[in-house]
Amino acid sequence: MKFAIALHSPAHAPSSRRALLFAKAALAQGHDIVRLFFYQDGVHSASGNVVSPQDESDTAAQWRDFVTTHQLDGVVCIAAALRRGVLNAEEAERYSRSAANLPAPWELSGLGQLHDAVQTADRLICFGGP
Amino acid sequence: MATLHVLSHSPFTDSRLSSCLRVLGSEDAILLCGDATYALRADTATARTLSAKTGTLKLFVLDEDATARNIALPDWAQGVDYAGFVALSVQYDKVNTWL
Amino acid sequence: MAKSLLIISRQAPWSGPDAREALDIALAGGAFDLPVAMLFMDDGVLQLATAQNASQVQQKDLTANLQALSMFGVEDLFACSTSLSERGMQPAGLSVAPLQVLDDPQIAALIDRYDQVITI
Repeated sequence: MKFAIALHSPAHAPSSRRALLFAKAALAQGHDIVRLFFYQDGVHSASGNVVSPQDESDTAAQWRDFVTTHQLDGVVCIAAALRRGVLNAEEAERYSRSAANLPAPWELSGLGQLHDAVQTADRLICFGGP
Repeated sequence: MATLHVLSHSPFTDSRLSSCLRVLGSEDAILLCGDATYALRADTATARTLSAKTGTLKLFVLDEDATARNIALPDWAQGVDYAGFVALSVQYDKVNTWL
Repeated sequence: MAKSLLIISRQAPWSGPDAREALDIALAGGAFDLPVAMLFMDDGVLQLATAQNASQVQQKDLTANLQALSMFGVEDLFACSTSLSERGMQPAGLSVAPLQVLDDPQIAALIDRYDQVITI
């Protein structure tokens, strides 16, 4: 089955970790993930500038590893990201901001990518809140 | 068509569970995860509300969240791990997460 | 056939960007000619109140955007009657029309009818 997974919470929210474990379990069962779409506060889960204390898990880094390892389509909503200060190098330059915090493998794109994923997938699963 | 409703907010500070119960379809199910598992704490109004619906409501609970909170599952609720969560999302026609 | 999407908007207009970002999903869907609907329930019905003064709190008024939904091809708009009456709101006095007011069993049937649901 084809899943689209939308994440609406930052890396420090339990629901971000829950989404990641769901995604891993889906792949382990042989399902496909057609796209990960990070929206609202979910854009923070893609931040490359999260620094977790050594004795706490680094969910943002785990997301990055997961998307890279499985070569998934990881899309961060550009409007939601700009509003929250999550920028890749191109956007940081465009808006004259001093730092970029959205590294590869994440791509910035619009809400059309969410709708496209809804159309392609058999299921849309959203994660967010606590 | 049956919907799996997913909740993760504590029912004691939030209205999502009660809103969800209002608009629940006859074939629908609920998966409690995160703080929503507090709904099953013994001797609470939410646990009584949910237990009164056994027979019509299928209730699932993400095991790790209940265990983390030392919440014993009543026999009318079914614990699932992440593999089970994925299986439920396949089994039901859609998943409505109350973000 | 395109999959249908129901967006359930249940946050007050300026409790944060939630109301705006739920609406943006609907507007984007309309722009792509997709079958998208919006249901306002819980505090989301407060987005439908008349005579709001968004500028007082330096926010954008959502009302004009909500009224423009039909121009973007999002014509299926619904509000929850229980949520309206809880908040002392009359179905006749809402800022967005046409909009269908549904009771709880009708909302259950509405959710059932759509292929996918996003509740914000």
